[in-house]
Amino acid sequence: MLQVEHLTKIYEDGTLALDDVSFEVPDGEFLVILGLSGAGKSTLLRCINRLIEPTEGRIVWDGTDITAASGEELRKIRRHIGFIFQEFNLVERSSVLTNVLSGRLGYVNPWQSIIRFPQEEVKRAMRNLERVGITDLAPKRADDLSGGQRQRVGIARALMQEPRLMLADEPVASLDPVLAHSILRYLEQLNREDGITVICSLHFLDLVRRYGSNVVGLKDGRVVFQGRPDEITDQRFKEIYGQEAERITVT
Amino acid sequence: MEGKKSPLLSAFLSLIPGLGQIYAGAPLQGAALLLAIVVTALLIQWQGSTFLYVGIILAWLWGVGDAYSLAQGRQISLVPPFLIIGVIVYIIGWQVTDIKLMRLITDVADIKPLVSNLLQPAVLERDIETQKAEVIFESPCSDSPPEKGTPLEDEPYLIILDKTCGEVGETFTIEGGNFWPSSRGQIWWLNMAGEMKRRIRQEGEYLTFQTDEKGRIPPLTIVAPEAFGEARGKGPQRSRVQALLKREVGTIHPSHTFFLVAEKMMETIFLALMATTVAIVFAIPVSFLAARNLMGGTPITMGFYYLTRTILNILRSIEPLIMAIVFVVWVGLGPFAGVLALAVHSVAALGKLYSEAVESIDPGPIEAITATGANRLQTIVYAVIPQIVPPYVAFTVYRWDINVRMSTIIGFVGGGGIGYLLQQWIRLLMYREAGAAVWAIAIVVWALDYASAIVREKIV
Ligand SMILES: Nc1ncnc2c1ncn2[C@@H]1O[C@H](COP(=O)(O)OP(=O)(O)O)[C@@H](O)[C@H]1O
Ligand SMILES: [Mg+2]
Repeated sequence: MLQVEHLTKIYEDGTLALDDVSFEVPDGEFLVILGLSGAGKSTLLRCINRLIEPTEGRIVWDGTDITAASGEELRKIRRHIGFIFQEFNLVERSSVLTNVLSGRLGYVNPWQSIIRFPQEEVKRAMRNLERVGITDLAPKRADDLSGGQRQRVGIARALMQEPRLMLADEPVASLDPVLAHSILRYLEQLNREDGITVICSLHFLDLVRRYGSNVVGLKDGRVVFQGRPDEITDQRFKEIYGQEAERITVT
Repeated sequence: MEGKKSPLLSAFLSLIPGLGQIYAGAPLQGAALLLAIVVTALLIQWQGSTFLYVGIILAWLWGVGDAYSLAQGRQISLVPPFLIIGVIVYIIGWQVTDIKLMRLITDVADIKPLVSNLLQPAVLERDIETQKAEVIFESPCSDSPPEKGTPLEDEPYLIILDKTCGEVGETFTIEGGNFWPSSRGQIWWLNMAGEMKRRIRQEGEYLTFQTDEKGRIPPLTIVAPEAFGEARGKGPQRSRVQALLKREVGTIHPSHTFFLVAEKMMETIFLALMATTVAIVFAIPVSFLAARNLMGGTPITMGFYYLTRTILNILRSIEPLIMAIVFVVWVGLGPFAGVLALAVHSVAALGKLYSEAVESIDPGPIEAITATGANRLQTIVYAVIPQIVPPYVAFTVYRWDINVRMSTIIGFVGGGGIGYLLQQWIRLLMYREAGAAVWAIAIVVWALDYASAIVREKIV
């Protein structure tokens, strides 16, 4: 169980990005963070694994206070939390295999990893590439890949961490709608078959309905909705997206 | 115009150029006109071409008229006086830099030997075989003048036909035999020890002879030259008269110059290599200090950032040639001075380029690798280095390429390498040798340019 308690983030320039955000995520849930651009979704997800330092509040995961962890302890926590980025964040000039292997850095001997990875880790990387269906791309450079392929590499990299929690920051926002489903299905699969808790920020309500088991709606850094996807009525939708919003359908 | 300015007063004030304009409400234009006229007048004074004052007077009169009408509220253009001043300045510039375009045409013959020598670089040669024979001449005469010499059977010989001694300027006649037939030769004048010598000139021309088909030197009249340096005027001195024939034999092979040029070219390339590698070692840490995205954390690190940037900018603004002069004075002539000069300049240049590469890295991968639980070192190895190595390599190869070019120039002020050699040959008017050096530089620079372009293309 992940507990977010009174989380507040104020950036150095004074921007209030998160304002007293609290919610709970039971294990095995597929939680969707819904909100307009600028609502604070990225900030929230990055606070959970401390890529961004929260200003106030606590994040407790299975009894461990993530916000209090530092140094070695924080690294140990991070390696169980996968993160998938909207812009994929691959190392463009490195091979797909190297990119996937880098997901294992938290586990291997740091000094050895500078030279090369052990053979068993290479095998693990190949298994994870197989899982996302792109074993043949392993030797290619990341910048030779299409967007959909890159995001699969991103997933394979996160899988190397053997995560118990997967954070995904708009994982399909940079992709064609058609590709969106194929990527989200992988997340769904991880959630259902491997029991990985998923927290995923999304833009489109139809995707939320299709994949989410629970929803947190954010607006201007505040939680404006909390509940099941089917509870998002048109009225609720307008609260999250503003009065002028129209519902768009993605198939 | 918020009027009530007197046009007459304005024109009167304009007797001092620009003052009228200042009074009439165009202070900037007035000041500019005043400054321009004063400075130009000083320039004319310095250059001494008094006729140019005509232009100044025209500009000044125009200024008076302009001030008059400006006070009435409508300005005539100030463009003409500034145009006149511009023309005057240009004429002075023409004189100062001694431009004589006609020379390009009238003196074109002067460049011909240079060009033709440069086009026949002294890279290949054949061995030279010589034949020589000598007799002795004394000046002035002593009681026992030297022998006239005797004709020999098989070897080349030289004899004096008439007198073996005499005053400077008196003539004597030589003759010889057993030389190569039908060849042209030279006459040399040597002191007895043989360490001083020069070719004999008569009426401005080098004295030469032509052997006949039997290898004889026909009688040749020589005006007795002065003895060498110290011996002059200290009583009777003996000198050697030498007939010298040269011919090329054997196969064509690379010349001594060729090897010298090759050696110095290698020195140049290594000079650039050492300077570049030394510079890399310093530029890498410096580049991190000069990267805004790495140093942005605290005011202290920002302080380091600005300090590093400032030092780099100052160092970069000093020409490597000036640095070479400084280091030549410091560590003496030779390639080491060149290495130091280029290294210092390269640290500044590379430091800036590297730091820009660091500043332009994508923070995304760093974030992603950090999120996997990697430590700082691993993050640098997996997320930062892959991003900066290609630009670093490209900039470095490019720098080496520039350094090879620069080191040829730096040689001119004594910084070692091929430039030093080239500069000496040019001074000694040895243009064929200089040509070899010029060709070597051109070839190496072209090759490196090409190679570095390929490397950069492959990497970036
Ligand atoms: N590094 C930052 N410094 C200052 N303000 C930021 C920074 N990152 C994001 N913000 C601001 O915080 C708010 C939330 O941003 P973000 O979390 O990126 O929202 P979302 O991911 O929902 O689009 C926005 O107003 C954004 O402009
Ligand atoms: Mg975002």
